[in-house]
Amino acid sequence: MTEAVEPDFDVIVVGAGPAGSVAAYRLAQQGLSVVLIERGEAPGSKNLSGGVLYGRVLDQVFPGFADEAPVERRITRHVTTFLTPDSAVSLDFRSDRLAEPVNAVTVLRARFDPWLASKAEEAGVFLMAGVRVDALLTEPGPDGSPRVVGVRAGEDELRARVVVAADGVNSFLARDLGLRRTEPTNHLAVGVKTVLRLPRAVIEDRFGLTGGEGAAHAIVGDCTLGIGGGAFLYTNTESLSLGVVLRLDDLVRSGRTAIEVFEHLLEHPGLAPYLRDAQVTEYGSHLVAEGGAAMVGTIATHGMVVVGEAAGLTINSGLTVRGMDLAIGSAIAAADAIVEAVAAGDVTASGLAGYRRRLEAGFVLRDMATYGRAPKFLERTGMYGAYGELAADVFHGVFGLDTTPRRHLLGVARRALKESPVTVRQLISDGWAGVRAL
Amino acid sequence: MKIVVAYKWAANPQDAEVGPDGTVDWSRAKGAVSEYDPVAFELARVLADTCAGEVVGLTVGAAAIDTPLARKAALSRGLDSLVMVADDALRGADGTRIAAVLAGAVRAIGDVDVVVAGESSVDVGDRQVAMTLAAQLGWAGLNAVRAVTADGGSLVVEREVAGGVETVVAGGPVVLAATADAALPRVPGMKEILGAAKKPTQVLDLAALDVPAPADTIAPVSTARPDTGNRQGVMLDAADLPAAAAQLTAALRQSGVL
Repeated sequence: MTEAVEPDFDVIVVGAGPAGSVAAYRLAQQGLSVVLIERGEAPGSKNLSGGVLYGRVLDQVFPGFADEAPVERRITRHVTTFLTPDSAVSLDFRSDRLAEPVNAVTVLRARFDPWLASKAEEAGVFLMAGVRVDALLTEPGPDGSPRVVGVRAGEDELRARVVVAADGVNSFLARDLGLRRTEPTNHLAVGVKTVLRLPRAVIEDRFGLTGGEGAAHAIVGDCTLGIGGGAFLYTNTESLSLGVVLRLDDLVRSGRTAIEVFEHLLEHPGLAPYLRDAQVTEYGSHLVAEGGAAMVGTIATHGMVVVGEAAGLTINSGLTVRGMDLAIGSAIAAADAIVEAVAAGDVTASGLAGYRRRLEAGFVLRDMATYGRAPKFLERTGMYGAYGELAADVFHGVFGLDTTPRRHLLGVARRALKESPVTVRQLISDGWAGVRAL
Repeated sequence: MKIVVAYKWAANPQDAEVGPDGTVDWSRAKGAVSEYDPVAFELARVLADTCAGEVVGLTVGAAAIDTPLARKAALSRGLDSLVMVADDALRGADGTRIAAVLAGAVRAIGDVDVVVAGESSVDVGDRQVAMTLAAQLGWAGLNAVRAVTADGGSLVVEREVAGGVETVVAGGPVVLAATADAALPRVPGMKEILGAAKKPTQVLDLAALDVPAPADTIAPVSTARPDTGNRQGVMLDAADLPAAAAQLTAALRQSGVL
């Protein structure tokens, strides 16, 4: 071992998103000295749009957070829509049970992240904004593999017992150490998002909402021009978040650009009633990890743990797109494991092994495993094209009263299936795969 | 020598939204050290280092300008200490009022030899606060300053004037407004930000400064996008570059530009 240098902090957390701020908060609360380093001039400034936060996990850290935090709307309505060029078939779930206790909220990260970081600051965390970490400081570890002892930014070095990499989906800290490989393109998706401004009352009228209620729409089918992926539409207080998530390999294969697909979505007649007269205020794109549990590699090494999207913790089940709740869950697990490791005086990979143990015992890795088949299931291209057509044909058969005598629903379905490229065998096989995956 | 850097914690225009009718919505804009002010911090620090001087940061505004992040953002830029007046009575105050409050704070700090400011604020862009501050203090005011050095008890100041550079010597207390490119500001590093948290900050009570109430408040009645002129909106396909260049010169000739 090299001569021990007294660290500047117990823990350095890199990245002040939900994972980083919650980890920093929880570490400081348990008495450790923590610096939270953020690349943007302020937390949230590097963030685009926002999304749906399944917030029960944050309640564990900040009970009743939805009453205090700058959340947009409480989601009481989840709509899943199969879109074809001229039809939309929706499954609409609304329930007061989603409102109390608060299950999910929409957040705009430009407002939400500063709040989370301020909670960390109140707990004693040193927030350092406008600093880009250039590299990890390492020394040879007990088994010859590198031990992380701090970070370097420009000419300055900071040392700590443990570094928490919360630096997002492209986590170069994790890559720097070889913890994350370069992902195959079928494990990555590109998200294109926009925030559309609309008056509060218009949003509530169009989406059938009152007060602080919100709706989350998941859309598959023609919205992506048949490319693997889907679209989402969330209500914020005075804006909508609209986006499309496209599987990278499928997008490349299609020869189209993400922008092209996104513009198709913006102009889709199925969405027009929701989007009319809305003004684009933000626009951008983001990589999304979709590898499921397969993408989570080494998340604890000597002197460092990886949390949130940096650890590949995102789930796209087709019905829900999750990232922030997994980020917060991993942050809690990491913080508690670090406290334990620092107290025991062992911050090697084995000392920090409590992190993965906690993740496996909690919902984070269990859900990653549960939905592990979802990416594979969603790869069945029927989900993106033919099924929407099939569903639309069935419902057209039921509701399209063209003065010909109606058939029994089963007959309508049978005939629609016969005309569809989808085979009965495929339908049964996909149905079974879907039940198993979701 | 006691040097005050007067800076603004200003809304970042990148976060502002300009409506089709030209109205500007600042409600989502986050605060930051105004873009042209780091130059003033740098000039002040370099000046202080050459004459064993002291640099005091000074900012005034609404209560929201006083956050831990805002304090560190200023103190990490070479200040020795920071003085703030953060009071919601100053929300939306015009440049004249801000200058009056700055003057009150400079008097309260006491024994100040020079105040250095940026050229203008990035959000409002009055381009007059520094000179109005000089008037309020009864001091000399020099704008368009591109360099300043100490010479004994005096300051040698270079100013950009039409067609050249003018050098003046200021013996008494003076307010300087720097050009946007007078110095290359350093980006604060981790050690400077850590050090910033250990430096003293004093928050002055607005009422105690005894600044007279403004006779009038100037507020904009409308804003509009700049006139972009009569654009033709001609797009040339650049796939074949020589052909595109030929089309461009032909189009420019036709419109009488060439």
